Amino acid sequence: MSIELKLDRPAENTVTISVIGDIDMSSSTKVRDILAPLFQENNKAIIVDLSGVSYIDSSGIATLVEGLQWSHSSQSKFRLVSLTPGVKDVFEIARLLTVFEVFDTKEQALAH
Amino acid sequence: MVRSFFGFIGRRGFEFVDTSADFFREISGLYYLTRSTLYCTFIEPLRGKPIKWRPVWTQMEEVGVKSTTIVFLVSFLIGVILAFQSAHQLSRLGALEFVGALVGVAILRELGPLMTALVMAGRVGAAFTAEMGTMKVSDEVLALETMALNPVKFLITPRFLALLIMLPCLTIMADLMGILGGFLIGTTTLGIDPVVYINNSLDAMVVKDVVTGLIKSVVFAVIIVMVGSYMAFIIEGGAEKVGQNTRTAVVVSMILVIIADLVFTSLFFFVF
Amino acid sequence: MIEINHLRKSFGEGDKKIVVLDDFNAKMEKGQITSIIGGSGSGKSTVLKHLIGAYTPDSGEIWIDGEEVSLLKGEAANSVRKKFGIMFQSGALFNSLTVEDNVALPMREHTELNESTIQIMVKMKLEMVGLRGAEHLKPSQISGGMVKRIALARAIALDPKIVFYDEPSAGLDPISIGVIDKLIMDLSHKMGITSVVVTHEIPSAMRISDKIIMLFKGIIIASGSPDEIRNSDDPRVQQFIEGSPDGPIPFSKSQTDYGEELKEMSQV
Repeated sequence: MSIELKLDRPAENTVTISVIGDIDMSSSTKVRDILAPLFQENNKAIIVDLSGVSYIDSSGIATLVEGLQWSHSSQSKFRLVSLTPGVKDVFEIARLLTVFEVFDTKEQALAH
Repeated sequence: MVRSFFGFIGRRGFEFVDTSADFFREISGLYYLTRSTLYCTFIEPLRGKPIKWRPVWTQMEEVGVKSTTIVFLVSFLIGVILAFQSAHQLSRLGALEFVGALVGVAILRELGPLMTALVMAGRVGAAFTAEMGTMKVSDEVLALETMALNPVKFLITPRFLALLIMLPCLTIMADLMGILGGFLIGTTTLGIDPVVYINNSLDAMVVKDVVTGLIKSVVFAVIIVMVGSYMAFIIEGGAEKVGQNTRTAVVVSMILVIIADLVFTSLFFFVF
Repeated sequence: MIEINHLRKSFGEGDKKIVVLDDFNAKMEKGQITSIIGGSGSGKSTVLKHLIGAYTPDSGEIWIDGEEVSLLKGEAANSVRKKFGIMFQSGALFNSLTVEDNVALPMREHTELNESTIQIMVKMKLEMVGLRGAEHLKPSQISGGMVKRIALARAIALDPKIVFYDEPSAGLDPISIGVIDKLIMDLSHKMGITSVVVTHEIPSAMRISDKIIMLFKGIIIASGSPDEIRNSDDPRVQQFIEGSPDGPIPFSKSQTDYGEELKEMSQV
């Protein structure tokens, strides 16, 4: 299963990552490799767009939790946007929906 | 009367056929397990599945480091006993100063490797069967298999490597302790001059003695691990089987160690 | 999805031959819970052993995700095994490893994930079974009910599409049973996991199952939704549901007459 990650910088010190494809045991290391360096570059906000993700497994969620940990130590914001229903279910079962800052659209996430 | 006699013979005959069939089944089972262990230990790492060394270290500590005391004690005492026994005979020939030579050669070539292997068969072989047998009984081995993990690679390989490395090491230490035991008795109780004792010993011992002893100990290590593991893996049923098979494992590996010792000793005798 | 066709299995040879499973057919749908119930010796565990590849059938086929698996060996069998998780009756946790290492084992062996990711995943799995905080305990230090929940956490470590449960609620207190039942239902209905539960706990099976298969002496005597089973007019099914000692399923397993056997004993 291939996964595509697109980086975009809509504003200064703000990065959005659009993920397209499934985040599973084999692809979540790729997400991690992209995500990790972003927290080293003084970014104020890192926004992950999950609209192109129809399936995420626990390794994917764990990777996003790692992002949350990094954002905590680097004092930046880490936001998730546009969760598809399937992805939302997985977050709910893991009881982690409330732990993340989740927004419906990219614009909302940027505005805050 | 006649009928019952033939009946007896016939029954014995069938029993014999049955037992020998069992025997060959066990031998072939042991052979296949050894083959897959060798494959998992030496071939598979070459195909890009490296061995995890952490369990090997744990096992090395368990089978090696923790066995040093008992191996030291046994081999030291063997050296002492050997010195006394040989002194009695050699003094009648007026060759008391050759005690050191006799003790040294006997320990290096034979008693060091053999006694270490026998002690380890009792201590480690039994532990292997009991540990892995309990895992078999409590479905842990099945759990490994259903997680697509090879029990041979996961359970036997670390033990195999650990003993393969540690048994020769222990053998060398046992050799030293045995020789030390002989030396202490020879120079104190028997009153042999230390310099003469050492010179005679060094004259008699050659590197070949050490090497043949170590080759044997490697073979003994394979026997102890494979018999212990095989006896664990064939367990079906409950806990009492674990006890039975542990006992069998110790007995069988001791016998096989001595048979292998005979084979290798005669091989070295005729070849070298 | 799992499909089993005409599965047959017997043990022993000649006079001692015992047919354990006779013409077993079943279909387990994706996202549904199928329970196989029956008394001890009914062959329900044998079905499970076939599904996980521990037994080879005498005849018949087992299809998992469109692949015939009953005769697979070695690497091919292992690639099928990675698709499912199993919760064993005894838990079958590795006693030498901590709870964390037990749950992390499949992840460490079968994925390339980072250690820090794995530790978060372990925490997530333990949270799902309500045992977050038990990471550093050894299996010998925790209770039987907790061992089973850890075993479930390990079974779902790699997010399998199929999970087999062997007597998930046997020997547990009512609250633990409720917790496990809810977990099985959540996993199946929300995450689309195909669940196969082998159990003799009728109330629990009735509560969670979408489909129940009832076995007696290796033969399917009833199959259908919990309501269909409940309304079955087969006396054997009714006896099993009610748990009454009298009925077509005899309490005694002995084949011979009690009185005759006692009389014969004195003649020896």
